[in-house]
Amino acid sequence: MTRLLLRLLPGVVLLALWQYASGRWVRPIYVSRPTDVAARLYEMFATHEIQPHLWVTFQELVLGYALGVGAGILCGYALGRAPRAAMILEPYLMAFYGVPKIALAPLFIIWFGIAIWSKVALAGTMVFFLVFYSVYAGVRAVDRDMVDLARVMGATQGQLTRHVYLPAASPAVLLGMRMAIPYSVIGVIAGEFTSSTRGLGLFINNASATYDPAGVFAGIALLLVFVLVAGALAGLLERRLLRWRPPLAGEPREG
Amino acid sequence: MTARLAFEHVTHGFGATPVLDDIGFALEPGRFTAVIGPSGCGKSTLLQMATGLLKPGRGQVLRDGAPVRGVQDIGLVPQQALLFPWKTLAENVGLKLALQGVARAERDRRVAGMLAEVGLAGFGGHYPRQLSGGMQKRGAIARTLIYRPDLILMDEPFGALDAQTRMVMQRDLQALVSRTGTAVLLVTHDITEAVLLADEVVVLSRRPARVLTRHQVDLPRPRDPFEPFRNPGFDAAYAAIWSAFRSEVA
Repeated sequence: MTRLLLRLLPGVVLLALWQYASGRWVRPIYVSRPTDVAARLYEMFATHEIQPHLWVTFQELVLGYALGVGAGILCGYALGRAPRAAMILEPYLMAFYGVPKIALAPLFIIWFGIAIWSKVALAGTMVFFLVFYSVYAGVRAVDRDMVDLARVMGATQGQLTRHVYLPAASPAVLLGMRMAIPYSVIGVIAGEFTSSTRGLGLFINNASATYDPAGVFAGIALLLVFVLVAGALAGLLERRLLRWRPPLAGEPREG
Repeated sequence: MTARLAFEHVTHGFGATPVLDDIGFALEPGRFTAVIGPSGCGKSTLLQMATGLLKPGRGQVLRDGAPVRGVQDIGLVPQQALLFPWKTLAENVGLKLALQGVARAERDRRVAGMLAEVGLAGFGGHYPRQLSGGMQKRGAIARTLIYRPDLILMDEPFGALDAQTRMVMQRDLQALVSRTGTAVLLVTHDITEAVLLADEVVVLSRRPARVLTRHQVDLPRPRDPFEPFRNPGFDAAYAAIWSAFRSEVA
């Protein structure tokens, strides 16, 4: 409980400061103010203005994230287990990793159309590389003695995966999944900015084009809710799957 | 009788460094064999060859009369406990049974029995990090003994333990092995431990390791690990091995 209050404190201070500054230090047309944003949020839900946008963006985020994570885990695992293939493919992957994915947005629109799939592709690509690299590194870092021990115990390839490689790589996998959450949002919004008929990105873009700062911040606030909820889910998953891990220096002591 | 495990003219090197030179000895079923040698002489390399993880440069390793090809299904107690940190103690100890597809209830029953035997009853739900080094080691031994492999390799299993725990575990291991009748290959650098546990002690030289002597230890069992020198015949066996070994240590 105290933890929750401590966490809320900086947010409340920030909002108060924003509210105070708006109209005193900065013109509201630039920064709006929290009460206006709240009113705008209420209004756009009451008039059902935002719901279609929300639904489209939600679908794009979930699909892009899920496909990116799934493909990232599969490819990262496969390449982590195949050192020879990895040796050949690594420079290519490194090169693709370095491509600014946002630059691909117009291309993806041409390839996948103006509807959700171009955004799914963009978000999925960004998520894929992050997850891919952390899974790949995690699988390669698995203690060889443990793998050997499991083999001597008669484990099949499938059993090695299930009992040794995946659990050993799980901290890296989960870290990649957590880091990928904001990137899926960036991918989806960048795609929607480029070209779309619906979505929060389009909404934010329109709001900013029509001098509606409260609308911009309201759209951003909804994106923040996405990120926070997804982050909390990832944290839950981590606590469940990584119970076995020794406590780290950066974690508070269990009391 | 076919040997459980036999090394025949095994010679091996890493790069230009020769490690093993014409090693030959065999383990009969139900016999306890200790290999002692100065540290770094290639004892662990021998074990790796027995598991099939490493192929000898020359010579061959035979398992039940057939040359070892590919990774063997073998009982292995590594030097570090090497419990899987993401599994509870009970899951670690029951791992082989799980791999074999033994039903859950049967597995739980056997794991509970095994944990009690090594003095870890009640710790099944703990993760390895929550256990002391000695407890982890006992867990590693339990993980191997539970499925009664017909051949167990042990790489200095008691090296990191405190003196009391070591003696207790030596006593228990002796009892467990005599009950299950498996063949054991124990690698150690401790002559007392070798004489105490083994039916035969193979003494290796410094690198490149040769077999200096193979000494039969015919002391009656059970042997008392708490006061080793009171076991009848212990002195003579110890002296015989030490006289072969001393030139390699000093």
